Amino acid sequence: MFTSKLSRRNFMQQSALWASAFAAGGTLGVRSAMADRSKELNILCWEGYNSAQVLDPFRESSGATVKAESLTNDPTMINRLRAGEINVWDLINVNNPWAREVMWPEKLIKPLDRARFEPYYEKMLPAFKPPYKWALDGSGQELIGMAQRFGPYSFVVNTDKISKESAEDQGWDLWNDSANAGKYGILESDDWNVFNLCCIAGFDPFKEHSDDEVAKFTDAAKRVFKGAKLVGDIATMNQALVSGEIDFHMTGGTYSVSPARADGATNLRAITPKKGPMAGGKGGIAWIEITSVVNNPDVSPLAEQFLEYVQDPEMSHTVAFAEGTFNPVSQMGNPDCFKLFTKEELDAIQWDTLEEEMAASAEYDIVPDYDKLLDIMTSAKREASGG
Amino acid sequence: MAEISAHETVSGQLPAAKPAAWRLGPGRANAVPIILFLLIGFAAPLLAVIGYSFMPPRTFGLWQTPTLENYVSVFTGTSYISFLWSLGLGAATVLLLAVICYPVAYGLARVFGRWSTLLTLLFTIPLFVSENVRIYGWILFFIKNGVLLGTFKAWFGVEPESWLFTQGIIVLGMVYVYLPFMLFPMTLGVSMVPKETRDAAFDLGATRWQVFKEVDLPLSMPGIVIGFLLSFVLAVGAIAEAKVLGGQKVIPITHDIEIAFTYSQNWPLGSALAVLLMLVVGALVLLVLRRFDLDTILGRR
Amino acid sequence: MTTRSPVIDLRQITKRFGNFTAVHSIDLSIGEGEFFTIVGPSGSGKTTVLRMLAGLESPTGGDILLRGQRINDVPANRRPTCMVFQSLALFPHRTVGQNIEFPLKIRDVAPEERRKRALQLMAQLRLPESYYGKNVTKCSGGERQRVALARALAYNPDILFFDEPLSAIDYKLRKTLEKELKDIHRETGKTFIYITHSLEEAMVMSDRIGVMRQGRLVQVGTPNEIYTAPNSKFVSEFIGDVNIVPVRLVNGNTLQSDELGAQFVAPPMPSGFAAGHLVVRPESLRIIERREDAENALRGKLYNEYALGSRIQYQVRVGEQVFIVERLRQQALGKQRDSDVLIGWNTADSILVGD
Repeated sequence: MFTSKLSRRNFMQQSALWASAFAAGGTLGVRSAMADRSKELNILCWEGYNSAQVLDPFRESSGATVKAESLTNDPTMINRLRAGEINVWDLINVNNPWAREVMWPEKLIKPLDRARFEPYYEKMLPAFKPPYKWALDGSGQELIGMAQRFGPYSFVVNTDKISKESAEDQGWDLWNDSANAGKYGILESDDWNVFNLCCIAGFDPFKEHSDDEVAKFTDAAKRVFKGAKLVGDIATMNQALVSGEIDFHMTGGTYSVSPARADGATNLRAITPKKGPMAGGKGGIAWIEITSVVNNPDVSPLAEQFLEYVQDPEMSHTVAFAEGTFNPVSQMGNPDCFKLFTKEELDAIQWDTLEEEMAASAEYDIVPDYDKLLDIMTSAKREASGG
Repeated sequence: MAEISAHETVSGQLPAAKPAAWRLGPGRANAVPIILFLLIGFAAPLLAVIGYSFMPPRTFGLWQTPTLENYVSVFTGTSYISFLWSLGLGAATVLLLAVICYPVAYGLARVFGRWSTLLTLLFTIPLFVSENVRIYGWILFFIKNGVLLGTFKAWFGVEPESWLFTQGIIVLGMVYVYLPFMLFPMTLGVSMVPKETRDAAFDLGATRWQVFKEVDLPLSMPGIVIGFLLSFVLAVGAIAEAKVLGGQKVIPITHDIEIAFTYSQNWPLGSALAVLLMLVVGALVLLVLRRFDLDTILGRR
Repeated sequence: MTTRSPVIDLRQITKRFGNFTAVHSIDLSIGEGEFFTIVGPSGSGKTTVLRMLAGLESPTGGDILLRGQRINDVPANRRPTCMVFQSLALFPHRTVGQNIEFPLKIRDVAPEERRKRALQLMAQLRLPESYYGKNVTKCSGGERQRVALARALAYNPDILFFDEPLSAIDYKLRKTLEKELKDIHRETGKTFIYITHSLEEAMVMSDRIGVMRQGRLVQVGTPNEIYTAPNSKFVSEFIGDVNIVPVRLVNGNTLQSDELGAQFVAPPMPSGFAAGHLVVRPESLRIIERREDAENALRGKLYNEYALGSRIQYQVRVGEQVFIVERLRQQALGKQRDSDVLIGWNTADSILVGD
């Protein structure tokens, strides 16, 4: 059923990754600059882009060796570039703020040819019309990446237990209601959990926090983890929702619930709270993936070619429904692309309310004191287990 | 010349061009590739982890001024909870395994006869399936409206509380996953006890219990100790059971290490935790091996 | 021997393993203090009999009586018997002292008392006192034999069983240990029941011998009876080198050998005897000058000779059959190979047996 994410959570595999990262720091980094890379492309991405459905046609048409490695959080990918793998990868696919606010200032990615790539934005959904903020550097001069998948990402409920309307109205206070202890789960997506705990504690996550807010965050973290029925991966969350072990779970959206919805569990639904502590009183958070060319001194000429390749309507649809999770793509603004989506597919990604949910969501941004909050949360989680 | 390590020779000049004192015997010379392979494949990553554990927190290079900061933060923080959980769950798993496996091992070695092969096969087959898949199988079995509770509900109309996401189910999962690692060495140990030796003890007046205590147990001890060590080391390193079956109700140290390496992006902290885990487990293993010297048990010394 | 009161009585003891019958309805009585040896080839069922006596196997049929009491259902650990196993079955994780003290420890004898008794037994069995703390696995083969025996004696059983304990020992040491064992038997006065596949070993030590074949007890008797009056070809062959000629009774007391084309005078024969084997021991067979020198004679060719220390053995071919003749060294023949010789025996030195 929802087992697509199992293997990624495997510790041994993670360990192997780190071992290879260590090795990369030493050996791969000194690879000859003269190497011919015209038939080779390395992609570091969220899952989906590494699927055979997406890569195989490209491999065939270009005759190149394409290697794609998928990870499930942004900092990990960026730190691998920082640790010396900038010489290894050609493309990196992360969530919106990391390209503009972290990788560009650190010169980990390079600009795209604006004349060549900006026209693609013209055909996207209205929200992506150029100049699109997250595709540009801070000065607005350079085009630094291409947008494709996106989605609202706040929490998910079983609408048989809590109606969409009451969940939207109650919003983050669902976790402040002590009667709900033991009824919810937490997706083990720790960066997003930090954002959500800020919302539950009643303040905007994407800013520097006062001591008072940090104290509130600490309380919220301890309380929320203590009251959680379980913490687990996407498959576990969906399974627990379907079986009735839990009624709702935090950190979730179309990205996490779409596999279950596609499987027929349309009573599960991603919820965007109507109001909340984010700028403009917004209650939800949304993500937009940006794929950028890595500032590899010996970058593959295929990198830009691949970026164009995935803009194609057919390929955009494939990316949207690549293995794992299913997501809306910005290319759905193009009727040629949109018509490829069946009614069931649109239902899986909650197309009916997508626009209003995106409008009610703040866009994912960098949390300046993320490290501190994460440490507090990790510790709270551990203490909850120490009971 | 016997004292010259392979490493020195390799880093030095061509051995043949050197005086006789530099020449390696054929045995050692042939061992050079393997030693190199082990150094690169085994020692290097380990050294990297140890090295990282002394780097400043949240940095990604190995060539900075070493610091003890990570270790200080481990010892002043709450990581001890995770260590205790890992060791406690490991110990509970091993003890349960011992109680469960000894009778089964005894049966496989002595009672079941030709059925033993079939049973051994049955115990082995799950090893061919990924641990994660098997654990998810347990989820489907125990989850609300799942195989167990769903059937119970259908038959009796009442639905008991789900056992998932509790400490008990973590131990169950670990017992299940690590069973073969206790059972097989134990079976080997039990089958190493000669029948005549047991007969002799019985014939010399020992009761069944005394035969067990005086002959079976000590003579099968090598297998038992190996089973204990194997399953304990694996159980302390377990992560999937707590994450999946336990719903992260419990954060074992391995999970802490994973968090440090992923969401926290604190490689030095993760490395420090990993080094400490290795030290703790290594010390325990050495302690056990000192107490139960395998050669002495076998009467070889 | 027959005057001893029986300590063990086997009444129609049978043991089956599945479809295989290891022991066929054996009747046997063993006297108090007797050294009784069961001898037979491997697979003859002798070990099974011993294990039933020890209580390590239970009989499928029949009764085992110990001084008249039925003990079929008494487990090994409650029988006043003790076994020295073929593998010796010493406890490898224990010292010599701990091995010997094992049965005493089981009975909760005080440590000081145990040690005293162990050292006493070690002295009796000529094991140095310094071996007390030695690991048994470090002991030599002979030393381990003594430890195993000491351990069995420490149990202080009425009856001791021995399951071929000397089979893995080299010849010279075996000879020494055989004599030692007989001495121990004499010193302790206990009943010894011994198993071996070597009749020679049985002869040296035993008061009486029982010969087993295919699960049946085929002959019981003193070593002398077994040696001089085997009741079957099987038993006579089992004793060692022997001359056997298949014969049939042609009239009165004349035996005909069809293979040799010769006739012999029959010794006393079982009633109703019609055909069987004539057995003549090598030392009863003589090299003679003239036919008249013996009651029975055959002409053959000297095939080979072997020096056996104090004696010399000659092989003489008569037709296809080889006869073995033994003489004292002083009476060496001094004849060439292939020279014609005449062999003969007196009727009284021959035996007639069935199969």
